[in-house]
Amino acid sequence: MDQKSAGLKLSIFFCQQIDANQDAHRRALEKELGSKISFFPLPCSGRIEPLHLLRSLEGGTDKVYLLACAEGSCRYQEGNIRARKRLSYAQTLIEEIGLEARRLELINMVSGNSKTIEEIVRELLAREADVEPSPLRT
Amino acid sequence: MKNESHLKKVLNAGHFAVTAECGPPKGAETSVIRKKAKFLKGFVDSVNVTDNQTGVVRLSSLASCVLLKKEGLDPVLQMVTRDRNRIALQSDVLGASVLGIRNILCLSGDHQSFGNQPQAKGVFDIDSIQFIQVVRQMRDQGKILGGEQLSEPPHLFIGAVANPFADPFAYRVVRLAKKVHAGAEFVQTQCIYNLNRFKEWMKGVMDRGLDKKVYILGGITPLKSVRMAEYMGKNVAGMDVPEEIITRLKGVPPKDQRQEGIKIAVETIRALKEIEGVHGIHIMAIEWEDVVPQLVEEAGLHPRPEV
Amino acid sequence: MITAERKPLPEIKEMIQPFRKILVVGCGSCVAECASGGEKEVGVLSSALRMDAKMAGQEKEIEELTLDRQCVYQFIDQLTNRIDQYDAILSLGCGAGVQAVAEVFPESVILPALNTTFIGETKEAGFWVENCRACGDCKLAFFAAVCPVTRCAKGLFNGPCGGSKEGKCEVDQESPCAWQLIVERLDKSGRIDQLNEVYPPADWSRQQGKGPRKIHREDQNI
Repeated sequence: MDQKSAGLKLSIFFCQQIDANQDAHRRALEKELGSKISFFPLPCSGRIEPLHLLRSLEGGTDKVYLLACAEGSCRYQEGNIRARKRLSYAQTLIEEIGLEARRLELINMVSGNSKTIEEIVRELLAREADVEPSPLRT
Repeated sequence: MKNESHLKKVLNAGHFAVTAECGPPKGAETSVIRKKAKFLKGFVDSVNVTDNQTGVVRLSSLASCVLLKKEGLDPVLQMVTRDRNRIALQSDVLGASVLGIRNILCLSGDHQSFGNQPQAKGVFDIDSIQFIQVVRQMRDQGKILGGEQLSEPPHLFIGAVANPFADPFAYRVVRLAKKVHAGAEFVQTQCIYNLNRFKEWMKGVMDRGLDKKVYILGGITPLKSVRMAEYMGKNVAGMDVPEEIITRLKGVPPKDQRQEGIKIAVETIRALKEIEGVHGIHIMAIEWEDVVPQLVEEAGLHPRPEV
Repeated sequence: MITAERKPLPEIKEMIQPFRKILVVGCGSCVAECASGGEKEVGVLSSALRMDAKMAGQEKEIEELTLDRQCVYQFIDQLTNRIDQYDAILSLGCGAGVQAVAEVFPESVILPALNTTFIGETKEAGFWVENCRACGDCKLAFFAAVCPVTRCAKGLFNGPCGGSKEGKCEVDQESPCAWQLIVERLDKSGRIDQLNEVYPPADWSRQQGKGPRKIHREDQNI
C-alpha cells in the first residue's frame, strides 16, 4: 500500500535550494494532508541536527525524509555530506531504542533537478509504505 | 665475593661468548627448566630466562634462574619494569644476588596488552635505562634510589638489550651509548638476519668507541620455516628479515626448511665471529632450545672455554 | 579538555529504571566540545529515553537542563530551587561535574550518563586524542612538548623502545611513536643532546597523591 493511502504521518526536512518557490508549492499538499504532513525548509540539508529528527519521531511522525541536493551539487560544498553523516548517526540512536533505521531516510535529488517540492513529495507519497505506524503515536 | 659471573669471566678473558635463552613453562613445575638445562649445559656460557615475555604469565624468571643454578648453569636474570615498581625491583635485585644469581638483563618489557592479562596495570614506574642506573648504583655505591645505604651491595654483571634494526635507525647507536653511560656492561642484540645493516650499526658503535666500553653479543634466532621468516619480518617490530633469506628458504622443500634455517644461523654466527667489536652471540631459540648444541658445534664454538 | 563518551544506552536505562521523574543535566564546557554532554546531546538522549519509556509502557517524565559548567557551584546553584521535584538527576557532566553536583545535593540521586575518558585535544572535527595524564610535574620542556607519560605506551623517559615500526607505536599502530617524535623534534631544533643524559625516575607521588589531590589558593578565596 502506498504511503498516502496507509495514512502515514510524514515529516519532510528539505534543502531550500531544491525549489526556490517551495513556500508556494507546498500549500496544496499541506491543505490536502493536514496534520499528516509537516514541511521543514532548511537553508542547507547540512543544517539538520539529529535532535530535529528525534524530536520529529517523538512527536508521532511515522517517517522522516531529508531531501538533499545531489552529491557534488551542494551550494555550500559539503552540506549534503554532513547531512548524510548526521542522519546516519540519528539512525544508530533510534536503533538503540528499537525503532527501525528506515524511519529516517535521506534522498539526494538528481543533478539539475527541476521538479517542484510538490512533485517530489507526491512521488514519495506514491511509494510503497515501508514502515508501520509509529509505536509512539498518541 | 662468592662465585663471580661466569659470563663476565669468559668475556674478560677475551673469549667469544655464547649465551642462550630459556623460556619457562606456564606452570609451577621444575621439569621443563631442568630438561632445557640439560640440553644447554656445556654448550653455552650463560643462560637467560625471560621475564613473563609478551606479558604472558609464566614461572618467574627468578625462580627459574635458581633452578638453572642448581643444574650448574650461570643464569642471566631478565627483569622487566612493566610489572614491578622501584620498591619491588630493588628488592628483587637484592634477592637475586643472595640466591647466587650473578647476571641481570634490564628491560622495559613488552606491553601488557600483548599477553594473556591485557587488563593488568602496566607499572613502568621506571624504564630500562633508569633501571640499569639503579642496579649499577646499588652494586657500586651500595645505595638504593634516594641514597639510602644498603647493608650489603648486590653482586651482578649488568646487561641491556640493543636493537640495531629498530626505528629511528639513526638514533640506535646513540641509544646504545646512553645505555653504556647508564652502566650497562654487556648488551644482547635483537636477532640478526641482515648482516649488512648490522655491520652499519657496528661501524657507528666502533666510531664512538663503544665496543671498548661494553661487550656486544649478537642475537641469533634460527628460522624454522618460510612462514616464520615472513611472519617475523612483517609482524615483529624492530626485526629485519631480508628478501634473500625468505627466497632462500622458499627454495627448499618444507621438510628441509628447518635444516636450511639452521644453516643460515650457523653462517650468521660465523660471520659475526669475524666482525670486529662483536664479543659473542646470544641464541634465542625459544621452544627450540634443543637446537642450540647443533648451532654451537657447527659454528665451531664447542667446547666452551674453561675460565 | 576533558573528554567523555556517552555510556551504552542499556546501561543508562538500567540506572534510571527505578526512577520516574528525571532531570537530564548537561554541561556546556568540555563535554559539549567533545559532543557527549552538551545541550544537543542532552536533547537527543532525553528524546530517546522518553520514546523508549513510552514504547515500553513506562511512566517517565524526563526534563532537560544544561549548565554552563557543571563543576562550579555558581552554576550548580541553578538546580537548587527545582531539584526536589525530581526522583533522580541524570548527569551528562564529566566525573568532576557529576560529583560536584552530588556534593551540593548529597540527599539526591545523581547518576552518570557518561564515561569520562581523558584530557586531550581536538585533533580534527570528531577526533579527540589524549595528550596529558595530569602527572602534576610537567616535563614537556625536556621532551620537545611531546609527553612521554601520555603518548608513550610504556611511559619511557629514555626511549624509544625497540618496538616502533615506521614511526608508529607497536602497541597501537594508529598512534605515532612518541619517542620518534621527540627525537625528531629535538634534532630539528638543535636540542638532541638533551637526550644524552639519563632522565631520572619520576616522582609519581605527584600524580598518585594521597587520595584526591588538592590545590589551595588563599589569594583566590575572598
